[in-house]
Amino acid sequence: MPSLSFFDALLPFFKWCDDTWLGNGIRNSRIYFPIIETFHLFALTLLFGAVVILNLRLFGLILRRQPISQLALDLAPWIRWNVVVILASGIMLFLSEAMKCYASEPFRFKMVFLFSALLFHFTIFRWVTRAGEGRMNPIWNWATGVLSLTLWFGVGLGGRAIGFL
Amino acid sequence: MSLLSFCQSVQDGPISTGIRESIWLFPIIETTHVLALSVSVGLLVWFDFRLLGFGIHQPVSRVHKQIMPWTLAGFIIMFISGVLLTWSEPVKCITSFFFLAKIFFVLLAGVNAMVFEWTYRDTLADWDNAPVMPRRARVAGALSLVSWFAVITAGRAMAYNLF
Repeated sequence: MPSLSFFDALLPFFKWCDDTWLGNGIRNSRIYFPIIETFHLFALTLLFGAVVILNLRLFGLILRRQPISQLALDLAPWIRWNVVVILASGIMLFLSEAMKCYASEPFRFKMVFLFSALLFHFTIFRWVTRAGEGRMNPIWNWATGVLSLTLWFGVGLGGRAIGFL
Repeated sequence: MSLLSFCQSVQDGPISTGIRESIWLFPIIETTHVLALSVSVGLLVWFDFRLLGFGIHQPVSRVHKQIMPWTLAGFIIMFISGVLLTWSEPVKCITSFFFLAKIFFVLLAGVNAMVFEWTYRDTLADWDNAPVMPRRARVAGALSLVSWFAVITAGRAMAYNLF
């Protein structure tokens, strides 16, 4: 958790977001929010599925006959595009209720996990899954898988909790 | 007794009331439902994409054999948590257009999957190296994708009471 003062310092930014024409437009419609949220969930399902498949492969539980790097290459473009859709739809949802998000503990939790998950995914996770077969100690594969799943599920957990708390 | 009055009596029962009125139980079950869905459907769609020729480039019978147990495990968790959620507010569910649509698409996805499993139970491996899957398999993959995305859409729409 970042300190409260970090988020507090962003208050003017949240206020500005809350007042954008896009945020206002979505907030003033009954159907935009559910529609955008549905696309957010579609992309999220595809992304989670792809990440879970890669992690199960890292654990050596599925699809063992082909190298991890091959699977990673197969899924990489899909993961990238789904991240784009998730971020675009997520930003729209955020703009429509930025002040609610500002006051929401789960939102802060989600953002910490989201930025960590993205950073981890496009650096360490990428290196480990692209490494040549046998060049990576299985322990690193396991550690990478556990960390990746923890970070992404943290994002999902925080996201769901925004609607409840 | 009509269906609605049956639902009302279920809703007045202790389990339904307990889940509905608990601060933590409903959100926990709901979160479990959504996370299990993202794993179960999230994995299944990659098999569907494989049937259509996208994504994972590995023999189709192997993708099927390795992914389906996880999808099934996720589905069981999703199903149990879904039953509990319905149990907690059966009157709202039975009177919701989106709930009925959701049930319809879950059944459609189920029938589609069973027909696929039946059709290809012995012959899926024959298509391991085929550049394109047979038409029936591609239709099954597309239908599975459409029905599961319809399930997600209807499930999400239920919460908004749009009509």
